[in-house]
Amino acid sequence: MSDEPGGLDFSTVIASTVHDMKNSLALLMQAHGQWQAQLPLQHQHGQAQGIIEYEFARLNGMLVQLLGLYKLGVNQLPLRPAYHELEDFIEAQLARHQEVLQSRQISALCEVEEFGLLGFFDQELLGSVVANIITNSIRYARSNLLVRAWQEQECLVLAICDDGQGYPQPMIDQQSNYVLSLNHSTGSTGLGLYFAGRIAELHERQGLRGHIEIANGAPLGGGVFRIYLP
Amino acid sequence: MQDYSGKRFLVVDDFSDFRSSVKAMLADMGGKDVDVADRGEDTLQLCRTKRYDIILHDYNLGSGKNGQQVLEELMAGKLISHQCIFVMVTAESSQAMVLSALEHEPDAYLTKPFNRASLAQRLDKLVERKTALKPILQALDKQEPAAVLAACESLSQEDKRYAPLCLRYQAGALRELGRLDELERLLSGVLAERPLPWAYVALGALLHKRGDLERAKALYEQGLQAFPMLPALYDGLAAVLLAQGESKRAQQALESAIKLSPLAIRRQMQLGKLALDNEDFGSASKAYRQAMEQGRTSRFKSPENYLGLAQALTGQAGDGSLDKRMQSEINQALGELDKSYGDDKGLQLRSRLALASSLMKSGEPARAAKLAQEAVAGLAELPQFFAADAALKVASQLRQLGQTDACDALLKSCVEIYGDDPAVMQGVARQTDNAEILGGGKEAVEFNRQGVRCYQQKQFDEALALFRRALALQPKNISIALNTAQSLLRLGGEQLPAELLGECRRCLEAVSVMPDSDPRYERYQQLRRKAFGQ
Repeated sequence: MSDEPGGLDFSTVIASTVHDMKNSLALLMQAHGQWQAQLPLQHQHGQAQGIIEYEFARLNGMLVQLLGLYKLGVNQLPLRPAYHELEDFIEAQLARHQEVLQSRQISALCEVEEFGLLGFFDQELLGSVVANIITNSIRYARSNLLVRAWQEQECLVLAICDDGQGYPQPMIDQQSNYVLSLNHSTGSTGLGLYFAGRIAELHERQGLRGHIEIANGAPLGGGVFRIYLP
Repeated sequence: MQDYSGKRFLVVDDFSDFRSSVKAMLADMGGKDVDVADRGEDTLQLCRTKRYDIILHDYNLGSGKNGQQVLEELMAGKLISHQCIFVMVTAESSQAMVLSALEHEPDAYLTKPFNRASLAQRLDKLVERKTALKPILQALDKQEPAAVLAACESLSQEDKRYAPLCLRYQAGALRELGRLDELERLLSGVLAERPLPWAYVALGALLHKRGDLERAKALYEQGLQAFPMLPALYDGLAAVLLAQGESKRAQQALESAIKLSPLAIRRQMQLGKLALDNEDFGSASKAYRQAMEQGRTSRFKSPENYLGLAQALTGQAGDGSLDKRMQSEINQALGELDKSYGDDKGLQLRSRLALASSLMKSGEPARAAKLAQEAVAGLAELPQFFAADAALKVASQLRQLGQTDACDALLKSCVEIYGDDPAVMQGVARQTDNAEILGGGKEAVEFNRQGVRCYQQKQFDEALALFRRALALQPKNISIALNTAQSLLRLGGEQLPAELLGECRRCLEAVSVMPDSDPRYERYQQLRRKAFGQ
């Protein structure tokens, strides 16, 4: 917080407002859920409901990301890594999107290479990254979404794949630029990649840092987002 | 999906809409027994009378205790079993996690808003985990560290997913059992593999305990490089710095922890004490005021916070006079102390002296003198002697209030009772250069030291002889008396001759004035049980 009595530290203002917005959104989503439960069955899962739920999730994800970026900026993003079960982690991420996936008739699968695969990461931070990527994939996916995890040499790899049109080619070609810096032309996907890249980097082991990659194609033919954690 | 029909749920949140929405989700999952509450204080009350299986607790409950404070009190008061699932519900998890104490972490965090699928997934997983860990958790509930170790061993072989969790329980059990070499190997091994916050804190504390201060300090500093937002690492670093005599830097470290996590009574209290020692009265007042306010509704409430605040405020006046506002704050704090601890004569006396010291600076020397006289008269009638810290503080207040004889007598008792503790002797030396007081215990302490060495080498006869010589010189010294009593019981076995039993009992009677806050009190009680046969 700014110590100068008259000075207005704009990023602090944004952070504290975002915090309130998040609380407000949480109440809104909850009230909406209760109201929805009282509707006659045929109105409960209409198209409009799907849009409302999807945009709620998107708004929430953006606010979490904004707060995260603010904290990264002021060096106050706490890192609390621990061992986590990948299957549990992925299922929890998919559960958060269950209504939207249902209303868009997208089938979402979790595939973990070996039973009981463990990863070492900050669950909250990685969770907010994965939630945003899933939200993005839902927008483009036609009917399938797949989240996979496997061990590749020194790294744990987490991939979110869809069967949509994939990332635009220029974005794939210049992906390192998106991760390195922000500019006005990158749009919200660019911001998401930047955030993901920063969170990946926070995970470090013996000099090796985490990173992200985007690609198109296998296994579902659409976009593929991969995060590598040492 | 797990079967929730037989589970006892408690949902705590200050928004009634949220409570009913979660209750509906739980009902949908088959939950039948769901209690709700809107304040942390109610959680504590409810948990006293009912054993819950699953608690969903909001972190930020508006006024009153937050979820973390509630969890700490539940654990400290053993109001919930280790088998209970405690989920912290937050609007924003990272904040709550920073503020959480490592030793009292919830089983999971759940970020608002969440849907039914998320809640069910989370709880299913937690039930599965707690079921797998059941043998460990039961052993923890029964406080049987050896059984914890055995259960960890078999579970981590059975299912490698639980191996990291087991390591943490193993570390706790090894510490309880005093198997410190193994503990150090385990923690070093964990850290060599991955930088785990809890392992940094545990290894730092272990190195400190073993007197390896330099390595402890280096480890905490290394931990802070990786986790600059972990208050527990600052706490540990502060304790090491203090042990190294760097009390100013210790205070700075603790201030960093407070900045991250101010809602921690014991941390505020520790900061108050340090700042007071550093004569930073402003910071001390602030910390003690916080500790006092937070303590009002907490099991971690302590009378030291009221006395500390009074002393810090009085100190803030320096050589000048105390302003009216501060005097009135002192009066209020001490009034509250008297009311809360009315049956503790030692505290009443200390409260009176604290008031007298402040009145001296408020231009009321006559009232101060009267209070000081009353306190001196009360000294003779105390059923328990003061803890060493308190005794030194009282002595210094007595001297400032002109009660020199009473002060010297108190310091003399202090040497007689605690003379084997170098820290206490340093404290006494800061207040007097009277050779008679300072030299009082030297010879006895030396005999005691030799006795301890003999005892460790199992030369029990020699040890007893040395302890007896020490005790003859200093019959009120707690350590010497306990050592003598223990040696007698050790030599006599089950059938101690009546004569020796009598001697043993006399040793223990002579130190019956020891305060129950003393770290040796538990050992004293054990020896008493043996000597007086209960």
